[in-house]
Amino acid sequence: MTGRRDVHHAIRIARAEVIRELRGATGDRRRVIGLLMVGLFYGSGLLFALPAVYALGQATGTVQSIPYLGGIATVAPVSMVVLSIFRTSQQIGTIDSEELVLLTVHPRAVVLGVIGAEVVQSMLWFGVPIGLIATAFALGIGAPTLPVTAGLVLLPLFCWATVWGYAGGIGMLRLFRWLPGLKQLLKIGWALALLPIIVGSQYIGTAIADRTFSIAGLLETLAFEPLQSYVELAFVGTELFHSPSIGAIGVLGGLVALTPVGLAVATRQATTFWFTDDPAPEQPQRTERSVGGFEAPQPFGSTSAGAIAWGHLVRAVRQPQEFAHLMIMLVMLGPAVAPIVQVDGNVGPIVAAIGVVVGTYLAGAAFGLNPLGDDRPAFPLLLLTEAGPRTLVWSRVIAGLAIGAPIAFLIPLGSIVAGTPALFAVGFAVVGCGMCLTAAMFAVGIGAVYPIYEEQEYWGTETVVPSTGIMMVYFWVVAGGTVIGLILTWVVLTGAGSLSLLIAAGVGVYLLLTALVPYGSYRYAIRRYRTYTLE
Amino acid sequence: MVSTNADAVAIEANDLQKTYGTETALDTVSFSIETGTVYGFLGPNGAGKTTTMRLLTGLTQPTSGTVRICGTAVDDRRAIASLVGYLPETPPVYEAFSAREQLEYVAELRDIPAGSATERIEQYLDRFDLADDADKRISTYSKGMKQKTAFIQSVLHDPDVLLLDEPTSGLDPRAARRIRESITELADAGTAVFLSTHILPVVEAVADAVGVLFDGRLVTEGTPEGVTSLAETGEDGTLEDAFLAVTSKEAATDR
Ligand SMILES: Nc1ncnc2c1ncn2[C@@H]1O[C@H](COP(=O)(O)OP(=O)(O)OP(=O)(O)O)[C@@H](O)[C@H]1O
Ligand SMILES: [Mg+2]
Repeated sequence: MTGRRDVHHAIRIARAEVIRELRGATGDRRRVIGLLMVGLFYGSGLLFALPAVYALGQATGTVQSIPYLGGIATVAPVSMVVLSIFRTSQQIGTIDSEELVLLTVHPRAVVLGVIGAEVVQSMLWFGVPIGLIATAFALGIGAPTLPVTAGLVLLPLFCWATVWGYAGGIGMLRLFRWLPGLKQLLKIGWALALLPIIVGSQYIGTAIADRTFSIAGLLETLAFEPLQSYVELAFVGTELFHSPSIGAIGVLGGLVALTPVGLAVATRQATTFWFTDDPAPEQPQRTERSVGGFEAPQPFGSTSAGAIAWGHLVRAVRQPQEFAHLMIMLVMLGPAVAPIVQVDGNVGPIVAAIGVVVGTYLAGAAFGLNPLGDDRPAFPLLLLTEAGPRTLVWSRVIAGLAIGAPIAFLIPLGSIVAGTPALFAVGFAVVGCGMCLTAAMFAVGIGAVYPIYEEQEYWGTETVVPSTGIMMVYFWVVAGGTVIGLILTWVVLTGAGSLSLLIAAGVGVYLLLTALVPYGSYRYAIRRYRTYTLE
Repeated sequence: MVSTNADAVAIEANDLQKTYGTETALDTVSFSIETGTVYGFLGPNGAGKTTTMRLLTGLTQPTSGTVRICGTAVDDRRAIASLVGYLPETPPVYEAFSAREQLEYVAELRDIPAGSATERIEQYLDRFDLADDADKRISTYSKGMKQKTAFIQSVLHDPDVLLLDEPTSGLDPRAARRIRESITELADAGTAVFLSTHILPVVEAVADAVGVLFDGRLVTEGTPEGVTSLAETGEDGTLEDAFLAVTSKEAATDR
């Protein structure tokens, strides 16, 4: 009786959740464009893949000859569970308007509904491409029932994975509540883990290219026999299929039996989680800073821009999540770091160069890429002080320099121990400081072009992040400009005394550009601030 | 007024205590509220009003003590759902829905038959001047419009106990009056209304009983008139004077 009622409620909740998600995803133009781009990208990829899949189907004589089937059959469920854990701990583990929902229906209905919505959404996202591939393959081998049987085989697997992922995700959330430090640690650990993954992927890339390593081999070693034969059940009714193995039947039975168990576990976990307090509620605190409220130490204290810059730095320490966008640097720099590990011999200059690039990047990216958006909560306050737009913009430049310049200066000098000739180390360090200034000034301008005000989910925290487009443009301009600058520095230092006219002209043009573009950008930022002041 | 007639007790709180870490938010609070009563729950910011209401709904567990709603233990979630209506501080509505969709959704979850649900929803939308905007997304609503929508959804199922946390905050005078009228009507029909607010005239206008919470303790309880006179504020004393007198006296004895 209560079971039926819960299922009814769950269906309504699932429907409402899917509608909310769809409306949210198509709500504003930027999201729709993003979706279209993703669709176009994968859609065109799929279009090219389909004929190949069709041909593969035609060529396939036995189930065993389908490439990678075993590996994929094993890796896919594991990734489904991991994905579900991640989605739960990030999004669907906490329910919106819980005061309403939890006082209206039983928690079991909520869990069922949320999981149901998740399954439906995943079907919408992944079901279409998987269905197309299955259809193309089915046409290839001439077995029209394959898409249907494939769906029937995937559904229990998918439900099982989502349910247990949900239970695991809520378990993780409860653990974080218990040990808040662990969450912080995981966030940092996740960032640090990215670096080896990216560097590692470079290795694997080369290893695949020279055939010391093969994906097929890896997938074959991973293959778990019963899961493979379970997936082979999808070919039931075709010529490829003979008789179901005991393993396959066992897996099917396990999935069907374990899904309700997982549901029960998930419900218990969720009920405990929802009906107990968060001892340290994580409210998004976007507190206004008080410009004169605390003493800024020298050298920041001597000017008002310096004092505000000190405020930015203090806030950076107190609310590190506002700097989540800097993580993108790790992704971009990964390929640059990889060669160091591979070069034998003199790594000093490379380390020095990377130090300069990182320092320069940070000088602008840390505080400059969304100046209007970041300052908006404090605008009324800031505008009441006599600090003018110039002071506000300049304070962001100073704060950026305070982070970037030490890196750009000290790492080249430090790289002397790794073999950089002293002359080059000093040259890089000096040039690096100059680069930091130009980058910081450049950032405030392009950051003011497209201010972002709303908080959004980013790398697992709710925060205001600069526009992705702006971050990309900034990265490429600054990284490119810095590398060119360093190469020029290198050339000049090596050939000191005997510069050809061509090099001199190149250096001249470069200097002119790096001076004018950031300066113009800086002026633009001040103009944008002024329009706010006059409002 | 605060007598105990066992059949008619709608809300019963016994020695409620709630601590967050080392902080005591609520310290042995007990009260008993009869059906058809409007209970004004007063207290300065941070006194523990919201905490009390969350305990009364079972959304939060007390450190010690018990709550019974119409004789049902509050952790019997299936039974409680149909007995209680709760309007929290921030209206629990979905921005992606329109007011009508939101209310229809709640009605569905509460198993109200579609026909009577539609009728009730239209009636309430009319009454709170929301009919014209009922099909716009809630994300475009003002704070007051969200508040009104959330109020309607909390009474849609005719609860026996209605808990309102600052129901009139952010409302214009007209809407605030509609809420007051609804509260009186519901109480006349037998609903116990537990009303937390800072706006003392609202309490004076509708409350049959008043409790004053200070720093997690229930320091005064009685009829509005009783509480007013208890504070010895002279003849033309209002509840506001009484409130200020009681709470400042408490603050003084705390030192
Ligand atoms: N989740 C929580 N964790 C820690 N302390 C909490 C939590 N929730 C409430 N408190 C504390 O309990 C006390 C009472 O808070 P509560 O929200 O009940 O006050 P209130 O009377 O509703 O105030 P207001 O009039 O401002 O709404 C406060 O001191 C608050 O800091
Ligand atoms: Mg409150």
